Amino acid sequence: MARILIRLNENLVPEPVVSEVILENNILVAILSAHINSKGGEIVLEVPDEGVDKIVAAFRQKGATVTVPKLIEVNSDRCFSCGSCVALCPVEAISVAEDLTIEFNKEKCVGSVCSICVDACPARAINSRFSNTENLRSSNGHREK
Amino acid sequence: MSTQNQKTRTIEEINHKILKGDAQVLTAEEMKKLVESSGVEVAFKEVDVVTTGTFGAMCSSGAILNLGHADPPIKIQRAWFNDVEVCHPGGAVDLFIGATNFCEKKPFEYGGGHVIQELVAGNEVELRATAYGTDCYPRTAVKTTITKDDLNQFYLLNFRNCYQRYNCAVNCGDETIYTYMNKLLPHMRNATYSGAGEFNPLMNDPDYETIGFGTKIFLGGGQGYIIGAGTQHSPKNLNGTLMVKGDAKTMSPEFLQGAAFTRYGTSLYVGLGIPIPILNEGLVRKTAIRDTEIFTDVIDYSVMRRDRPKLRQVSYAELKSGIITVNDKRVRVSSLSSLKMAKKVAQTLKDWIDEGQFALTSPIERLSLDTVFKPMRQTQEIPFVSNVMHPAVTCMENEEIRVIAERIVTKSVNHIVVISSDGKLLGIVTSWDITRAMAESKNVLADIETRKVITAHPDEPLENASKRMAQHNISALPVIDSERKVLGIVTSEDVSKLLGR
Ligand code: SF4
Ligand code: SF4
Repeated sequence: MARILIRLNENLVPEPVVSEVILENNILVAILSAHINSKGGEIVLEVPDEGVDKIVAAFRQKGATVTVPKLIEVNSDRCFSCGSCVALCPVEAISVAEDLTIEFNKEKCVGSVCSICVDACPARAINSRFSNTENLRSSNGHREK
Repeated sequence: MSTQNQKTRTIEEINHKILKGDAQVLTAEEMKKLVESSGVEVAFKEVDVVTTGTFGAMCSSGAILNLGHADPPIKIQRAWFNDVEVCHPGGAVDLFIGATNFCEKKPFEYGGGHVIQELVAGNEVELRATAYGTDCYPRTAVKTTITKDDLNQFYLLNFRNCYQRYNCAVNCGDETIYTYMNKLLPHMRNATYSGAGEFNPLMNDPDYETIGFGTKIFLGGGQGYIIGAGTQHSPKNLNGTLMVKGDAKTMSPEFLQGAAFTRYGTSLYVGLGIPIPILNEGLVRKTAIRDTEIFTDVIDYSVMRRDRPKLRQVSYAELKSGIITVNDKRVRVSSLSSLKMAKKVAQTLKDWIDEGQFALTSPIERLSLDTVFKPMRQTQEIPFVSNVMHPAVTCMENEEIRVIAERIVTKSVNHIVVISSDGKLLGIVTSWDITRAMAESKNVLADIETRKVITAHPDEPLENASKRMAQHNISALPVIDSERKVLGIVTSEDVSKLLGR
């Protein structure tokens, strides 16, 4: 699964862009979060790896901006399980295990578009380094620096 | 000699058992369970020592080291390790690395805490030093690399460690703030706390019956000593602190870790554990303390004052559950200090005692029980918004623009604050907005008012409010309380009258 961030400008807001892309490509996607108002919108989608290229192209064709967020990585050698990052995570991707180790759920994390936890880690153990799909790394898909 | 119904035991008796390898040592966690299941009397009979631990950011930490003399010798005036400036507190080549001093090239990211960790780990660090040169110390500059093995002395010397308990921090403001309590999201979207609660050393001996000057402790993975109460020691409100010292050459980078707090600076995470000899049943009861009995205040860090508002009391049990309720809002809370490492400290100390590597000491002096922590004596008070704000001229959203224009003239003001019927802030209009509206013959206030109002709080320093006005290029800020009720207004004129600019 790969996560992509779709940004819609205000002209696209009234259009059923997401449903059109899904129907026209016949690929199932999960909407992880959506913040839309009259001025524009941001939607995070989860897309099966095989369908990413098609979906990204389809959204771009309709005029949406597509960003492929990088994966957030935790360096477990540096992490001393302080827990600072836990309550910051909006999707509860970080949790405290039985033995008080801090656990990081890559599946839940929405990636570098969020990054809320990154600058809160006193051990600087959290990084966003890799693009979340191999094949998009070469295309202009990932725009994050 | 021990008898079956002995009501007390001494440290000498315990040390004797440690030497023979039959002392009974429990971690604080195990002790609490034992007292709960078997009661005080049994626990007293069965347990000789309880080990406690904490692992948290302790900013008032540092290291004293002696470099030995260069040839020709230098009396160091300023010195840097890996570009982190250190202090030169004494003779020619004695230096103090403060945990919070940070590197000029990597500000906020790399500091004294990291240098200490690297030295402890055995890594090479770069030393640069300059001096003015004297007849006895002619040299004026030196550059070299050193490791801990090259140092004559390398002592960890922390003047405030091991807070008995600490605040829980939230941010009720509108913007994310970065503090020593780490990142606090606006509108109480998270909370942070620090301290190990029921595992904390001082919490397990709150009257400092066994913990004092000369107590041998676990410090940074090695052995150290308490050398007195720490700075800001405030035992009456359960905010005791310790001053500690130990040989950093024997310590481990696992238990001394440099840390960086965004926009606050660097620090050092320190692992510190204290063995508590169970000398009597009173100490059994004390070491049985639970998180449900340890309380701390939830403090609003958005208020930039020494005395910040306390929103409620919470127990460490609530804090460790991950959720607290503040003003009817469920707030996710997480720890800043590592409970996992705190337990590891207590376990390691237990292992040392079990293996006969660590004997207990009796303190030669007890920690004070009545020191108070005084605020700074200030010979000059700085002005706050509340000192200069004055009543705002207001209007309601349904008033006619012509009426508001008249009010601007009669009251001779430039800003009118738009409020709701219950006095809450809705918007602001300036004389300029009104003039333009009249020129364009607009009649509806809603079309011209500014709804995204930049505001001030009565408790914030005037300096801050003034900066905000300059930043947004505006000349007045409505002053509101936490419920957005309008309390008054502060203008750039008020600021210049008082601050002279
Ligand atoms: S980047 Fe965001 S979603 Fe991912 S773990 Fe950090 S806070 Fe959670
Ligand atoms: S903030 Fe950093 S060190 Fe602390 S638990 Fe999270 S990843 Fe680990």
